[in-house]
Amino acid sequence: MKRARSSGENEEAPRQNGSSSRRQSENSDVEDGEQAFGLGDLGEDDNDASRRREIRSKYRDLINTIQQEREDMVSLTNNRLTEVLEEANNLFKDVRRAREAALDAQLLVVATDLGKEKASRLFSEGTAFDTTAYTEHLLSFMGLNRLEDGQQNGGVDGYLPQDAWHRLAQRAQSCFRTAPSFHFMRGSFHAEPPPPRQRIERQRKAPSKEAKRIMPTELKKMEDSQQDETVKEVERILAYLKGYHKDDPTSPISYYEFVIDPDSFSRTVENIFHTSFLIRDGLARMYLDEDKLPCIAPVEEGEAEAAESSNRKQGIVSINPKIWKELIDAFDITATMIPQSE
Amino acid sequence: MTQRKRLSNTPSSSQAKRQSGAFPAQDDDDDVTFTQPSSTQVQRGLEKLTPAQVDQKTAEVVQFFLVKAQKKIPIRRADIVKHVVKEYKNIYPEIIKRATQTFDKVFGLKLVEIDTKNHLYILVNKLDPVEGDSPISAPANPKMGLLFQILSVVFMKGGVVRENVIWNTLKKLRVDPGEKHEEFGDVKKVVTEEFVRQKYLEYVRIPHTEPVEYEFRWGQRAEIEVSKPKILEFLGELHEVDPKSWSQQYREAHASQNSSQPSSSSSSQR
Repeated sequence: MKRARSSGENEEAPRQNGSSSRRQSENSDVEDGEQAFGLGDLGEDDNDASRRREIRSKYRDLINTIQQEREDMVSLTNNRLTEVLEEANNLFKDVRRAREAALDAQLLVVATDLGKEKASRLFSEGTAFDTTAYTEHLLSFMGLNRLEDGQQNGGVDGYLPQDAWHRLAQRAQSCFRTAPSFHFMRGSFHAEPPPPRQRIERQRKAPSKEAKRIMPTELKKMEDSQQDETVKEVERILAYLKGYHKDDPTSPISYYEFVIDPDSFSRTVENIFHTSFLIRDGLARMYLDEDKLPCIAPVEEGEAEAAESSNRKQGIVSINPKIWKELIDAFDITATMIPQSE
Repeated sequence: MTQRKRLSNTPSSSQAKRQSGAFPAQDDDDDVTFTQPSSTQVQRGLEKLTPAQVDQKTAEVVQFFLVKAQKKIPIRRADIVKHVVKEYKNIYPEIIKRATQTFDKVFGLKLVEIDTKNHLYILVNKLDPVEGDSPISAPANPKMGLLFQILSVVFMKGGVVRENVIWNTLKKLRVDPGEKHEEFGDVKKVVTEEFVRQKYLEYVRIPHTEPVEYEFRWGQRAEIEVSKPKILEFLGELHEVDPKSWSQQYREAHASQNSSQPSSSSSSQR
């Protein structure tokens, strides 16, 4: 009892939906069909699953037909659409459950869509535009030669010249208010941003990779060469010092006269720096003469070891441009004793 | 004497300070979200700039439009603001107003915002095409022929056409969308992507179709750029009939002609 009632309630909704949508389709057959299943029929074949399956399958067939024969359906020359709707109406007589009713609604959606299209065709019927005729006219305009055989499209008659679309475009231009596009007179920059951008990225990436690989060795080299440079310079200065000493072993060499370059303060500083290595390594020694002025002299081979043991002193030589100038005046230095290398 | 000097100096220097202070503050929110400044904001913004600065910015925007228009893809307001207007965005409406004037008076072009929601602009020629042979015979772009064919069919068929109608007519014109065409390459791509991006066409899925089907309509650019009366005129020539015999299309063409181009009426009505 309970079960029957609940199924009866289920019935109620779809049938109402169905009848109202059927009315939308404005089919006169509907009225009779509606009356055919009164309340009395309820529960008769409720669980007849195979019957329901059959109905569903018929609905699906109908929907498929509509979709596949769309062009045929909307044609003004036949009544296929009405026929399909009538068929659906017949089917609906046996619909008892929501599931079938849903299919009925689905079919109606598709049919309505077609109805709309058909209506729009009717609407413009008076001035129907025939695309077939149009394309024929266009082909003639584009210079179709109907006597020659088309080579590329085997089946089609006539030969369409190469500039066919150019011809049409030329004529069609008058229908367009297209803004003429702006071009650079030289035309070389043919706005293609992506490739150049990629190229820039690649260029940037490539050197950085290489640089990374090379960096360590390069750095070492630089340090090496700098050290080499210092060593070379120190040796060069020692050679000068020894040379001057050899020329006149008796007269002391004034330290300031030796290191100062009257033309360059920076060279002077460099000379002081390099000379300090000679002192540190015990290759030269400094001492004060009778006037308490610093002098420099090379250390003989034999003396070196003796000096090693004797107590060594440290001193700081400071110089600035002002002192440098004063020294040049005081010692009356006109030329450097250590000529620039190369 | 000294007092007067001081008096005349102080206002200008304080003004300069205020001016320089205003700009960095605006740079902070330099993102995509751009709200159209109000007219008072524009007024205030203009007061802070010299006429030469505004002219310069306008010229930059004009050039940006010209270069961008080459591809025929509508120009987005967001791009204009991001790439050109930048910190002048507080006076954006004024700049666009001036650019529109420049296009109108100097180039004979019309700057049209075809989409006021997404803010897309296009440039349209204001001048009528020269009758007969143009003195400069610029080579026509064959794609225009293809586009014309589609637009004319859509128009003559009442504004909406299912895609296979278009493909069928094209096939009759020896253009198979499934094959590579020697002039257009991938025809389907040109029609459903390029023309759509340029806003000449709309390519929309038809609901409830199985298998999926699409339909064509005129795009926003076509509505503004393409003259329906001229299409009818040409089709009349082809069919050797009076364009008026397509009464419905004729009515529509002349109705839309009046509504869509009200401002250039002096030039288009001859």
